[in-house]
Amino acid sequence: MTYLLTSLVNGLVFGLLLFMVSAGLTLIFGMMGVLNFAHSSLYMLGAYLGYSIGRWTGFWTALLLAPLAVALLGASIERFMLRRVHRHGHAQELLLTFGLALIIHEIVKLVYGPYPVEYTIPTELARTAFNVNGLNIPLYRLFIGAVAVSMFVSLFLMMKYTRVGLIVRAALSQPLMVESLGHNVGFIFLLVFAIGAALAGLAGAVAGAFYPTGPNMAEDLGSIVFVVVVVGGLGSLEGALVASLAIGLLTTLTVGLDWTLAGALAPLGLSGWAASIGGPFSITLSSLTGSLPFIIMLFVLLVRPAGLMGERA
Amino acid sequence: MKLYVRIALCLATGVVLLAPLTFSDRYANLAIRMLVAALFASAFNLLWRQARLLSFGHGVYFGAGMFAVVHLMRANEAGLNVPLILVPLAGALSGSIIGVLCGFVATLRSGAYFSMITLAIAELIYSLGPRWQALFGGEAGVSSMRLPSMGLSFAALNEVYLIVLGWSAVGFATIWFFAKTPLGQIAFALGDNERRLQFLGYRTHAVKVYLFALSAALSGLAGGLLGVAAENVDYTVFGPASSAAPVIQTFIGGADVLFGPAFGAALLTGFGNVFSDVTRLWLLYQGIAFVLVVMFLPAGIVGSLLMGKKRPLREAIANTLAVLLCSASLIFLCESASILLSDSYSSLRASQDGSWVSYRLFNMELAPGSPIVWGLPLIAALTGLIISWKLKGREETA
Amino acid sequence: MMPLDRRDVLKLAGAAAVGLAAPAPALAQARPALKIASVETLSGPGSTVNRLWSLGLKYGIEKINAEGGWNGQKIIYAEYDTEGTTGGASQKTQAAIADGAHIIAHGGSSAIGGQITEDVRKWNLRNPAAKVLFFGLGIEALELTGAKCHYHFFRFATNADIRIRALVAGMKAENALGKKVFSINQNYSWGHDIQAALEQSAGENDFTLVDKVLHDVNKIQDFSPYAARIAASGADTVFTGNWGNDLSLLLKAVQAAGLKVRFATTFLDLPGALSSAGSAALGYFHAELWNPQAFGAFGQELWTDYKARMGTVPSTSEAKSILALLFLQQALKSIPETSKIDVDQIAQALERTSYKAPTGDVTMRATDHQIAWPIVVSKVEQGAKFATDGTDMGFVPIKVIPGGEVLNAVQASCKMQRPS
Repeated sequence: MTYLLTSLVNGLVFGLLLFMVSAGLTLIFGMMGVLNFAHSSLYMLGAYLGYSIGRWTGFWTALLLAPLAVALLGASIERFMLRRVHRHGHAQELLLTFGLALIIHEIVKLVYGPYPVEYTIPTELARTAFNVNGLNIPLYRLFIGAVAVSMFVSLFLMMKYTRVGLIVRAALSQPLMVESLGHNVGFIFLLVFAIGAALAGLAGAVAGAFYPTGPNMAEDLGSIVFVVVVVGGLGSLEGALVASLAIGLLTTLTVGLDWTLAGALAPLGLSGWAASIGGPFSITLSSLTGSLPFIIMLFVLLVRPAGLMGERA
Repeated sequence: MKLYVRIALCLATGVVLLAPLTFSDRYANLAIRMLVAALFASAFNLLWRQARLLSFGHGVYFGAGMFAVVHLMRANEAGLNVPLILVPLAGALSGSIIGVLCGFVATLRSGAYFSMITLAIAELIYSLGPRWQALFGGEAGVSSMRLPSMGLSFAALNEVYLIVLGWSAVGFATIWFFAKTPLGQIAFALGDNERRLQFLGYRTHAVKVYLFALSAALSGLAGGLLGVAAENVDYTVFGPASSAAPVIQTFIGGADVLFGPAFGAALLTGFGNVFSDVTRLWLLYQGIAFVLVVMFLPAGIVGSLLMGKKRPLREAIANTLAVLLCSASLIFLCESASILLSDSYSSLRASQDGSWVSYRLFNMELAPGSPIVWGLPLIAALTGLIISWKLKGREETA
Repeated sequence: MMPLDRRDVLKLAGAAAVGLAAPAPALAQARPALKIASVETLSGPGSTVNRLWSLGLKYGIEKINAEGGWNGQKIIYAEYDTEGTTGGASQKTQAAIADGAHIIAHGGSSAIGGQITEDVRKWNLRNPAAKVLFFGLGIEALELTGAKCHYHFFRFATNADIRIRALVAGMKAENALGKKVFSINQNYSWGHDIQAALEQSAGENDFTLVDKVLHDVNKIQDFSPYAARIAASGADTVFTGNWGNDLSLLLKAVQAAGLKVRFATTFLDLPGALSSAGSAALGYFHAELWNPQAFGAFGQELWTDYKARMGTVPSTSEAKSILALLFLQQALKSIPETSKIDVDQIAQALERTSYKAPTGDVTMRATDHQIAWPIVVSKVEQGAKFATDGTDMGFVPIKVIPGGEVLNAVQASCKMQRPS
């Protein structure tokens, strides 16, 4: 029971973190049709900048400045690089971001070295929130969740109830019409890209203090974030939220389960035979935790190719 | 082209391709790797050039071929007598089988979805790789040994090169010929407008699966050839690096030219071999080159050379000069940064009371405090930028 | 991040040029110099950690050369970059052999080591006139002295069995083992080796393995579910072979969850591990053949001399490179000066050598070429004599266990073909 409860909390928080990163990715895709391979690199940059700025200004100011810096970088990527290759099509844009991810990875290693840096939680948050049967839940974990939730709420409110949100939503589906109504669609694109980058940067700055800030953090998260947006449906914010939480919870809960395929065949009386073959039959579910998101994604694609909440098939 | 130019070109190509037969193991190995990378990139590009499908997981089919071949060679050691020259076919076979399975799922979608699915499949296989000890041999991998076959010992790699050359030729010929078949033509149409093709009654998903299978089979063949040469394989062949390699090589070489990917692959494999011993930052330079090519030479190197406008000699020279100036200063700055930011330099500084001690680069003693050290490369870069900006301005007015 | 020492490259290039220019017969007349090649991942991810093996070799060879080298010549040292791939390793192994290396050394990864050992085995089979030796400085996969063992491979490091035996014995002596043990390991050969060694040890000692788990390598962002699982098992002690992120994350998650468990680790001494784990590592146990404090005056001298010459204090990797060379130096003393270097002779000498280290006697087992070092079991403490990894913590030795006591049995899968 303790295990279930703590795993639920941990899974929710990890899911919310996934959502913070995938929200920007899915927004950018929905609007511009660009699959940003460098998005998780922006997440990593957010963490590193949070660490570097935090050494001068303290944690809280860095939490504000790092996402801004990442947003600025995102804006310049959109303005000076993506816009340049836009006329060559989406694939060229995708390749560009792919190359950027490679470069950012190498530059981070050049500047900060290949080890994780010591980005630590501020002392006022380095406490235990509550205790479940002898197992502590750190306060910072709840802080990550709170940041993610407040981010989702404000994003949702902005999109739904403000004039800017209205134009952005309009530009999502009918960019040409919005442009002929006199709105600067190019600037809206820039804005969306910058906001998406800022979200990733914020996620990095918040999460980097808790999870390690190292040069592999982009790669580690990148493919899971892709899974999230595909499962949720590309371009759908709500889909990303549902998929993030589902994947966060599933990967956390399966850690404790030692089920095997051979065991599942036991009712058929085949478990001995399957175990003797070994390989995929004797892999335990807990050891599949890292692969599980990809299996889920393949399953969703086969059953519902547009993703859980995707509209365009 | 004049006839004698053609003949000279063919002869030169022949000499270059046959030269490795006389090489020692070290350079024969490099030649084999360049050829294998060229075939792999061309196989990858089959999907992109024709159907506009961008795969980020081709390392899986390459690896499948490599594992199949190494396992077959082990069976050979145990007494199965498959002539070595036929062994690479096992790679093509296993690549095509895995390709049909994965391709069926991946080609359910196009565009960015397709890319992400291929990536996820590769991640999945990569994460499963170390689990299945019997098949993938764990961390140390599976190992085998080439046995003498058909009167040749195949102990030295230049003899293996003969097999690699032969099968690569078959692979390249297949790619070239496929584009001319009706299926190949439909695949081209698929890249242009899938919806219209569907209305014409073609089952586009089936076409895509065929194409994917062929691409995977040739990737498997390339992997198989490397398997014959390396005699050893482990699951890291499924890793992101081997899937990223053909993407980078293809687009640097030129994706829309038949032999662009092959050129890019051979070029980068060769450079990588030479430069990785000289600089730690080879991957950074490769990434920068890739982004620059994507931004400024969308047709790739070969594509730009073939299709580029004829420029007056003066402009060509000025352009080359600009590129050289910019890249020289970039390399200088990156290498300097890599030294100045290193642990060993900071401990050196700490031992000298925190002063910016001089460092050695390109056989020069450089003082980090001196304005010349930073000013000169900056001026060089600026000059390069101004030259290219002027050239561009002239182009636009012309 | 370490820069490439350009002087080395240039020196190497110069040496290569001289080698090319010098007429070959003249060289054959003189007594040949022994050449050692370090084939390591020197670029890309992991390069800084792996470079340490090369740095240690370089330092150790310079030291041997200062004492006169061997065969009347200075030992030649060269570096080759694997680019982090097994393919690159294979290529550079060939390059090293082509450049005349007699010994190839690798420490960084068992996967790359597995490739090199196979390449060397095949090369020696095909070129009996120009054999080479392969030294494993840090590659600990059991398979390398098991199914993949061969006459020309020597492991100078420990392996999973040795580490677990030492940890269990050391912690038992310290009354720190407890009755309930949890095993958490990475899901690949190394983690499997550790888990199997622990299962075996549970049968031989009076503790129970309450739960065991294997997880993905370098993929887990959040170890708190595993912390919850450890808590649920009620374990006193957790054994892990994890390294890198997987280790520091695990320690941090357990600390954050407020669990009262002790850890027994194998890679807490790698660069970056202690600093990133921070106070979470205090009081935890570690077993390794090197520990500067346990090596007494020898350790102190190596520590200061290395720092003076190379700029940093030696990590375990560098130290193990150096110790392997000292063992080799001892073995070479028994070989008379020769006009043609025969690596089989060196191999034979290695098998017969007994080296007196400050912690005890060291021998190389002839049947599988696994070295038997005395193992130092240590505990992470604040204010240790040798502060490690930029922290104020270090590894304080609690027990030294003679090599013979912790050495695992020869694996049945090792069928070594000895030269007749």
